[in-house]
Amino acid sequence: MAGIKDLGVGIGWRSEIDLTVERLPGVDFVEVVAENLHIGHLPESVTLLLERGIPVLPHAVSLSLGGAEELDMGRVEHLGAVAEAVGAPMVSDHVCFVRAGGLDSGHLMPVPRTRDALDVLVENVTLAQRNLPVPLALENVAALLEWPDGELSEGEFLAELVERTDCWLLVDVANLYANARNIGTDPERFLDEIPLERLAYVHVAGGVEHGEVYHDTHAHAVLPEVLGVLDELCSRVNPPGVLLERDDNYPSDTEIASELAAIRAVVDKHRG
Amino acid sequence: MVTPTTTRGTRFTPEQIGFLAAGPGRATEAALARLLDAGLLRVSRDNRVSAVHQSRQGATTAVEARLLNQTRTPVSLKSAVKITSSGTEVRALHQQLLDDGLMQRPRPRNAAWWFLLAMAVVLVAVSFQSPWALVGAASFLLMGIWLRGRKPVTRAGRAALRSATASDRVFAVALYGFTGKVGTQEVGDLFDLPKDVARSIPLKQKKKRRSSARGGASCGAAVASYSSCGSTGCGSSHSHSCGSSGHSCGGGGSSCGGGGGCGGGGGD
Repeated sequence: MAGIKDLGVGIGWRSEIDLTVERLPGVDFVEVVAENLHIGHLPESVTLLLERGIPVLPHAVSLSLGGAEELDMGRVEHLGAVAEAVGAPMVSDHVCFVRAGGLDSGHLMPVPRTRDALDVLVENVTLAQRNLPVPLALENVAALLEWPDGELSEGEFLAELVERTDCWLLVDVANLYANARNIGTDPERFLDEIPLERLAYVHVAGGVEHGEVYHDTHAHAVLPEVLGVLDELCSRVNPPGVLLERDDNYPSDTEIASELAAIRAVVDKHRG
Repeated sequence: MVTPTTTRGTRFTPEQIGFLAAGPGRATEAALARLLDAGLLRVSRDNRVSAVHQSRQGATTAVEARLLNQTRTPVSLKSAVKITSSGTEVRALHQQLLDDGLMQRPRPRNAAWWFLLAMAVVLVAVSFQSPWALVGAASFLLMGIWLRGRKPVTRAGRAALRSATASDRVFAVALYGFTGKVGTQEVGDLFDLPKDVARSIPLKQKKKRRSSARGGASCGAAVASYSSCGSTGCGSSHSHSCGSSGHSCGGGGSSCGGGGGCGGGGGD
């Protein structure tokens, strides 16, 4: 993976579990939500992790790169500043939009998989990349709906995005599983279609099923099926990093450590 | 793995010992310590505490259940302790201590008591010239004795305190508080709590210092028995660990540890 060093197994740093993250065994890297950090006032815990040599990767949720509106350069600059403050090798956001017509969705909304929407996305990503000090990785989102008249599969859409922008991919296997469950995405086809050589790292998260719908909550345990998708991915490529995301309803330190160990077991199985 | 929730040498719970040592706040600290020890609560560097499980799963006392209920979403450690300390569960704990004869309603020495004392002194002075005044002096003294102030912890309560030792980190909190010391070791360190987090727990500093000065007997007893607390608790040897997390329970100190609050005072 030229340009992306081996990250190992990591966890999303959240202030509620800062001491847990600091004390968990086998945390090779962490990810922080860029919008939650203030330049010049890094949390003590993040500083401590940096001092230990643990890579800290900023992950943004508000660039709205798939939106038709003009890119908010203030948000891009903030992401870049966070990356510089923590010495990050890369930053990331999502293939989605979160704002339109002056309204904030509060969710990561999927973009229509049309060539017009791809043109918009490519333009925004290119502009963001020009203003970021480090490479940008983009993540597939969990969608509860598919826009009509899609011209490309999700894998084809991302492959063309990578080809036109030279961005990296952050593959969320939980989102992939959610899409398989909710809108019929074929995870294997997705993995066949995306350029795995541009894989930056992988997200793993938990969720829960309500009725016929799987919700990617990041507040429940990681399902074996999600680890199954990770297993499928690892059978094709050795991911530079795999990160557990947990955003709420934090379980005990022991349970979190078990989830990390389960992830590591899948990764190590394929590393031989 | 967790440290034992009962300790050799006492039949009292950490919450009871905490209340006897320094009042409702310390009882709440003891409950907090037990929940942290069991991994049922989590604290963060920004001084917030949250329950690990959304149900009150794992609570063994009403005070613990109250704490878990209150921390279903992260709240400041300070407010969690403050609110729980003034809650019905801690009041019930106090009532139980009263019913068991371990505590009594405190009666401070008020202005009337000082007046009686002054009158007795005056009458004693007068009695050098008029011996009958001694009768009056004796009467005032008797009334003074009857109205003398009394501490909230009874003799039985003090005996209970003396029976408790910092044999695990939960009892260390009950006896000394998170900001107290066992020997030379800060109690908060036994839980790997950052200093700022331990200090965010509300304290009645004045009361604590006074109880430390007055509580020599119980403090001495605690430290003495602490240093001989056996092979599975915090041993007198520096190498013994305290519970699952491998925290040494102090250096077998022989002093009361500055300002740690050695019990005997407290009250409401």
